[in-house]
Amino acid sequence: MNKVEVFDPPMCCSTGVCGPSVDPALARFSSDLHWLANQRIAVERYNLAQQPQAFAASDAVKTALTQFGNECLPLILLNGAVVSKGDYPTRKELARLAGVEPDQPVPTEPGAQLPVIRTKCC
Amino acid sequence: MAPDSMNSFLDNATRILFFTGKAGAGKTSLACAAAVSVAHKGKKVLLVSTDPASNLDEVLGVRLSGAPAAIPGADGLFALNIDPEAAAKAYRDRVIGPYRGVLPEASLTSMEEQLSGACTVEIAAFDEFTKLLGDAHATAGFDHIIFDTAPTGHTLRLLQLPAAWTGFIAENTTGASCLGPLAGLETQKSLYDSSLQALTDASTTTMVLVSRPERSSLAEANRSRAELAEMGIANQRLFLNGVFVAQDRSDAAARALEIRGREALEGMPAELAKLARIEVPLLPYAPMGVENLRSVFGGISPVRKALHQDPAGGIHSGLALSALIDELEKMEHGLIMTMGKGGVGKTTIAAAIAIELAHRGHPVHLSTTDPAAHVAATVGGSVPNLSVRRIDPATETRHYTEAVLAKAAPQLDAEGIALLEEDLRSPCTGEIAVFSAFARTVAEGEHAFVVLDTAPTGHTILLLDAAEAYHRDVTRTMSDAPDAVRQLLPRLRDAGFTRVLLVTLPEATPVHEAARLQDDLQRAGIKPYAWIVNQSFAGDGFRDPVLAERGWREAPYIAEVRDRLAIRFAVIPWKPEAPVGPGLLRELAGDSLAVAGTSKG
Repeated sequence: MNKVEVFDPPMCCSTGVCGPSVDPALARFSSDLHWLANQRIAVERYNLAQQPQAFAASDAVKTALTQFGNECLPLILLNGAVVSKGDYPTRKELARLAGVEPDQPVPTEPGAQLPVIRTKCC
Repeated sequence: MAPDSMNSFLDNATRILFFTGKAGAGKTSLACAAAVSVAHKGKKVLLVSTDPASNLDEVLGVRLSGAPAAIPGADGLFALNIDPEAAAKAYRDRVIGPYRGVLPEASLTSMEEQLSGACTVEIAAFDEFTKLLGDAHATAGFDHIIFDTAPTGHTLRLLQLPAAWTGFIAENTTGASCLGPLAGLETQKSLYDSSLQALTDASTTTMVLVSRPERSSLAEANRSRAELAEMGIANQRLFLNGVFVAQDRSDAAARALEIRGREALEGMPAELAKLARIEVPLLPYAPMGVENLRSVFGGISPVRKALHQDPAGGIHSGLALSALIDELEKMEHGLIMTMGKGGVGKTTIAAAIAIELAHRGHPVHLSTTDPAAHVAATVGGSVPNLSVRRIDPATETRHYTEAVLAKAAPQLDAEGIALLEEDLRSPCTGEIAVFSAFARTVAEGEHAFVVLDTAPTGHTILLLDAAEAYHRDVTRTMSDAPDAVRQLLPRLRDAGFTRVLLVTLPEATPVHEAARLQDDLQRAGIKPYAWIVNQSFAGDGFRDPVLAERGWREAPYIAEVRDRLAIRFAVIPWKPEAPVGPGLLRELAGDSLAVAGTSKG
């Protein structure tokens, strides 16, 4: 199973609703990650302000931060290797990075639980 | 119910006591007096303030911190302040500390910036509060914990949090929600459960509703009574503070004050009247220091200190409010804000200034950031050129939620919208919604007079901190923040646009609280325009010994405002009739008591 890890810049929550302005791209990306988690991809998401331990534990992330500064965030890793820097990719791009079909619908049985993404917002 | 004896109340007091009530009702004085008296009976007592602008230090005469400090002269009494900023800093250090030297310095700085917002501050303080309430370990060894809580709106919000959050954690299924800066909140759940349990257990917690014998104060106490009862906190007492009987029957003002109190008590809401009640007479002094505090419930006559005479003529050295309004009118438009301790008359003065400016033909918006303020009731009717509003947290949160969803919806599928909706239920959403409304209200000063009554100091400090934090955020991220938010801090700092009026009573704690607020404002680049000393008894004509003593005890505080704190200041004499409604408010604004202005500005 492929694993996608997202390392966000320090922020309050994954959709950015509690900042001075709401960035619709953030909400869209959160939604896309949930879609990805439904495509049999293990998705993990970390925020520098809340889960610094995940940043400290990854040599690839530490190297990128030292080399490029905070501008390299968000970083996206596929199986431990950096595949995207400084940008929230579209669903299409995300699908390409993770090697899945971009047009798969989300299974929507009534009462179905959203897939668990290992993340702690805020 | 008939009045109870204070002594029997203290003998049978529950382990946890909360003192709540309208700002200025005397929560801190009575909480301190109760703590001193219980400690005097041989109990070990922890006195806690949750107010970001705590006055415990001044009333007890001890410099306090976030850890229990022994109070000299009161064996067994310890006190602490929950300082939200300090709690937030401790939280930041805890989170960031382990990564110094591990992650690049720039990354640590950006973490620090993110963890400096209003949300972190609020939650860090709440964390400290629940520890005292729900963690038996943290308070082991104390027989009593007495909370001198912040003014009502804030208190209730703080108290509602355990209930709201316990539900929030239980209902949150995706784990993606915005829970504020408490990562791993689930682990705190048992602490919140035991806090909630402690609050609702009648044998553990008593809620003391402190009220003045005044209509608005009693109404506020009754509102708290109902809200607390609804949350399951039914063990309540009413402390009537400042009950006054004129000793000199020839003093018309004293008799008017007595009648005003009696009428308010006769009209007390029925449910409130059913509570067991303790009456505390109006004191001729504000009780400060252990010895004075013990006398409040101890029946010992207070220590009278010799006071210096004010050679500059006390009350007559200030401007009249009307003269101050003449100066404000020259701005033609802009922001006028009243700030200060709770209960000093910020709403009344804001309303008086707004009505007078409107009467002079200027378009005026009168609003408030205080969820507990009753601006519309104070104005008491419609006035040409004047619009009256308030920033209501519930309404603002709803509008903000709707606006965010409307903006983001076109780019999201159903699942994305569901995720966003869940994040919007976060406790942080209310903070940013109120803040945005504040910024919008300030922006209206570009085209009209905006007279803004603020919430008591602590709340206002947090709002200003939020303004600074968001300003940094906006500057840093170049995000598409609304123009009103971008311009907020620059507008507040523009002395040509914003005039801050610090309102105080001529007593120690409100003067010194306003002085600290003035320092905070100046550090933020905001220079207060004037001070207003309200409800002065220093004028001639009080023969009643209690009121006359209150009057001559004002002299050093009026002198302090004039000589050390204010560029310009006005004095408003105490009125036998509460200034409510356009007529009385205009009278207040046109007051010409102190004509000999000695403005230094």
